[in-house]
Amino acid sequence: MNGTAVRVEQLAAGYGDEPVLEHVSFAAEAGESACVLGPNGGGKTTLFRVLLGELEPTAGRVELSGRPAYMAQTERTRLDFPVTALDVALMGTLAAGRWWLPPRRPQRDAAAAALERVGLADLAGTRFGELSGGQRQRALLARALVQDAPVLLLDEPLSGVDPASARLIAGVFDELRAEGRALLVASHDVESARSFDLVLCLNRHQVAFGSPAETLNRAALQATYGHELIVLEDGSSTRAVTVQHHDHEHES
Amino acid sequence: MPSPLDLADLPFLREALLELVLLAITGGVLGAWIVLRQLAFFSHAAGSATFPGLVAADASGVSPMIAGIAVALGYAGGVQRAGRSGALGSARDATPRDHGEGTALLLVAALATGVILASDVFESGAVVDRLLFGTLLGLDTADLVLSAVVAALAAAGALALGRTWSAVGFDPDGAHALGLPAGHADLLLLMLVAVAAVAAIPAVGALLVTAIYVLPAAAARMLTRSIRGLVSCALGVALAEGVVGLYLAYWLDVPAGPPVAVLGAVVCLLLAVTGPRASLRRQAAA
Repeated sequence: MNGTAVRVEQLAAGYGDEPVLEHVSFAAEAGESACVLGPNGGGKTTLFRVLLGELEPTAGRVELSGRPAYMAQTERTRLDFPVTALDVALMGTLAAGRWWLPPRRPQRDAAAAALERVGLADLAGTRFGELSGGQRQRALLARALVQDAPVLLLDEPLSGVDPASARLIAGVFDELRAEGRALLVASHDVESARSFDLVLCLNRHQVAFGSPAETLNRAALQATYGHELIVLEDGSSTRAVTVQHHDHEHES
Repeated sequence: MPSPLDLADLPFLREALLELVLLAITGGVLGAWIVLRQLAFFSHAAGSATFPGLVAADASGVSPMIAGIAVALGYAGGVQRAGRSGALGSARDATPRDHGEGTALLLVAALATGVILASDVFESGAVVDRLLFGTLLGLDTADLVLSAVVAALAAAGALALGRTWSAVGFDPDGAHALGLPAGHADLLLLMLVAVAAVAAIPAVGALLVTAIYVLPAAAARMLTRSIRGLVSCALGVALAEGVVGLYLAYWLDVPAGPPVAVLGAVVCLLLAVTGPRASLRRQAAA
């Protein structure tokens, strides 16, 4: 999986006549990780919907090295639905087509292996709604892993996750990069963005794109977050913290 | 007290029993998805929405069954389109979600059209009675054939589309991202439910379609923890309620629909109060 995994050129997208995202151009190579930073309504989810083919761009071009896998936010899932962690992982096998057939042995094995990889093998038979927040995120990550996709789009995968799950998920991300997969991770966490290869700052348009050293500066972050940004300076270091409402109903 | 064996011995009861068994199969298979996908209101509305078609068919000599199916399919398509186009909700919803608003809006439009046709254009008093109440003791072969075909379609649809319906119901955004034909699967589910509602009208009437398709699955939902268990349990509950309800109707000399409906409601109520989930709620509150 070498070469460019994602390339976006002068992308614009919106809903009806309302433009939500404009002038977005970036690229990620296979094996690279990019953090997509931005406030609620900044266009992170809209960008993902375009990359997933759910939303037609109104301008620009998108190139992907293959169908991306998507890890949604857990609050968009139904906790009362009678499915187990294994059922959720098995849903990932539907991406290969043949959705009209029951899962076969290889597909069950792939789902079980994905659960093992995210540390949920012992909880395969547990209902999704009975898992903790971090375990749910890991089950959704297992669903994405099963798809064996060259590009993974992860929508706030560490939001509300316990430290143990966060470490495990971060470890899986490192493995995926080592396998040559590209990761695009939407996040509110400015500090965690420093651990990515690339950072894309969005606020209805592209504010900055490049390495963390190039992009995570006061000017770019203030243009991205505006009054939602608090910069903490203690002499030797500078930390930026966003004040978010986490109202995903209005996120775009 | 009459013998329960009369249900099998007497021809008119035998036909009614066969009809209830066929509807129970549909109710068991589709009812699970109606409950899981929160389509109870739609399943209730789909039968009633056929009103203008039945009135027009009665006046023009067209088969009411064909008119009912045509209107029901159109209704299902309209509801699905209203939900997906964003006409009634957020323009951002490209994936199947809640159909409640579209169901209500198009139901009102259908009923208003039916009332105008029935009162100002055609004379259709009998059609209204048949639509609302139905009768299990007066079914013809076509009614039974339609119910059998719908039961077969429901079973085939659930086998082929069950995984997709599950993925869409669990996480609409995620299902779309998997490349699943979420919109088409959603439309097929609505169409199956709509046609199933039409198939139940001759037997129980539009007012009590819910008794056949929703109550058994709602009861089963309180007893089971998996989709496969839900389908099996809903099928069993629907069969049991249909047979016992028919026997009660025969014994009490009343139409069969109401005893089946009351039985379904009582079972749901009892399970809600005393079932395993109620015990869990009590434990959590203690």
